[in-house]
Amino acid sequence: MNLERLPNEEKLNLCRKYYLGGFALLPFLWLVNVVWFFKEVYFKPSFTEQMQMKTYVQRSALGVLLWAVILTAWITVFQQYRAEWGEVGDYLSFTIPLGIP
Amino acid sequence: MANNAEDVENNMDQQETSTSPESAPSQPPESGLRSRGVAGAGNGGTGGGGGGDDGGGGGSGPEQNGQPPATRPARVVEAEEEEDEELTLKYGAKHVIMLFVPVTLCMVVVVATIKSVSFYTQNDGQRLIYTPFPEDTETVGQRAVNSILNATIMITVIIVMTLVLVLLYKYRCYKVIQGWLFLSSLLLLFFFSYIYLKEVFKTYNLAMDFLTIALIIWNFGVVGMMCIHWKGPLRLQQAYLIMISALMALVFIKYLPEWTAWLILAVISVYDLLAVLCPKGPLRILVETAQERNEPIFPALIYSSTMVWLVNMADTDGPKRNSTEAASPPQEAQPAVAPPEPSSPSQDDGGFNSTWINHQEHQLGPLQSTEDTRREVQEMPSARPTPEDDEEERGVKLGLGDFIFYSMLVGKASANGDWNTTLACFVAILIGLCVTLLLLAIFKKALPALPISIFFGLVFYFATDNLVRPFMDKLALHQFYI
Repeated sequence: MNLERLPNEEKLNLCRKYYLGGFALLPFLWLVNVVWFFKEVYFKPSFTEQMQMKTYVQRSALGVLLWAVILTAWITVFQQYRAEWGEVGDYLSFTIPLGIP
Repeated sequence: MANNAEDVENNMDQQETSTSPESAPSQPPESGLRSRGVAGAGNGGTGGGGGGDDGGGGGSGPEQNGQPPATRPARVVEAEEEEDEELTLKYGAKHVIMLFVPVTLCMVVVVATIKSVSFYTQNDGQRLIYTPFPEDTETVGQRAVNSILNATIMITVIIVMTLVLVLLYKYRCYKVIQGWLFLSSLLLLFFFSYIYLKEVFKTYNLAMDFLTIALIIWNFGVVGMMCIHWKGPLRLQQAYLIMISALMALVFIKYLPEWTAWLILAVISVYDLLAVLCPKGPLRILVETAQERNEPIFPALIYSSTMVWLVNMADTDGPKRNSTEAASPPQEAQPAVAPPEPSSPSQDDGGFNSTWINHQEHQLGPLQSTEDTRREVQEMPSARPTPEDDEEERGVKLGLGDFIFYSMLVGKASANGDWNTTLACFVAILIGLCVTLLLLAIFKKALPALPISIFFGLVFYFATDNLVRPFMDKLALHQFYI
């Protein structure tokens, strides 16, 4: 999809849909939103819908950061303490590495 | 296969003249523009022609307004014709490169996976339901017979699926086709990528918990579905198409026994050739039906290198939109073939892709013929009339089935042989792709992309494996450098 040929309302619409979609546990969607509309929002001469799009992009970026923090924390905790958790650790594990940790 | 690169301008060409682009200057500028544009979109070559035509049309315009001497227009036309030829060639090369990159990427992913993750080369004893005869038999003769039977069953399945698709398309069961396609890509994006991730983690001996994996797969799948079937950034859509082609090729490599796989490659190339070029071939019927109805044939499963956006499409899209669902990724998928319309009803074509995809999904059972997807590609004629507005450069389209079979060939070569064989097959396939695109630029109609490349690939594989490899091994053994 080439953004250049889309009218501004449709761009805003798309941005909004991506923003709302990201609430369904989809940080990747927020990331795509940020990357895709970044140039539109920050490097283009302003157009009517730009302010709204900017808020969407900013909030999506915030969401991505939040998710990144949560995920990093969880993954770190899991990798460190998986062996110590015993059964719970195994139950949570999707793949269990071989060998001695 | 149907996946060949499609020349968008088929429609245009058929409507205007059957002559080569060079004759375009004689036509009114608009039609020249149209035919050129269409051609351009379809193939690199055509794109060049389009540009040339525009130049020719534009050039002759002002000449006529003034009072140019009689000889000048002729000379201008000649110059423009030469320009056309040059532009055609230049444009063609660019489009070839635009297709090289994704095909190469897909192959790289497949080869990297094959070399590192042993899962895809292990023989678990599992087979697809389409290839019921085992190949670990006692005698060579028995093995040959089994593989021939397997290939026959597979190709029959493919033919049946293709016919079903053509029938569905002919009787306007677009919803069925779209749903089919949707389910196929769903399976591919979620289930196969889950298995792929699992095997990669196992190979690298990493621990991973269910929560993270669920989140990753969920994100990957949903964003993939959105990019492919709805709207998304072009690059991301292309990346997803490459990834699902690679996944499919890996599934094929894993679940098809040795001889069966090579036989299937050969037979499918022949079938592709027949289906696309014979007057009664299903793919050809599909293309023609799509052209009659002036609909874009392509569904979500065609890889397009750029997106063409036709400004006027919005008007003409209306009726089509009603008939088709919004599932298909309008612009991304089809740039090359039809004028890129935002609402391009790839949905019509969707069936193809899904067929192809379903075919791959042996787990599900539904058969999809790759033919369909290939056809899809072929059928890229621009059903829509080109708008008067200039369209930006069109890309080239290639069916995903082509990606899959190319990668499958190279993947099998890397699984069995050494790097010499792999590289030889890789080069052979790219050369075949070049030749196919060249023919596409010359003939300006849908062409099967599989036969030439697969033929070259097979020849190179068997020649390298049986002739070059022992030779190089002997040389290395005796430390004899040439």
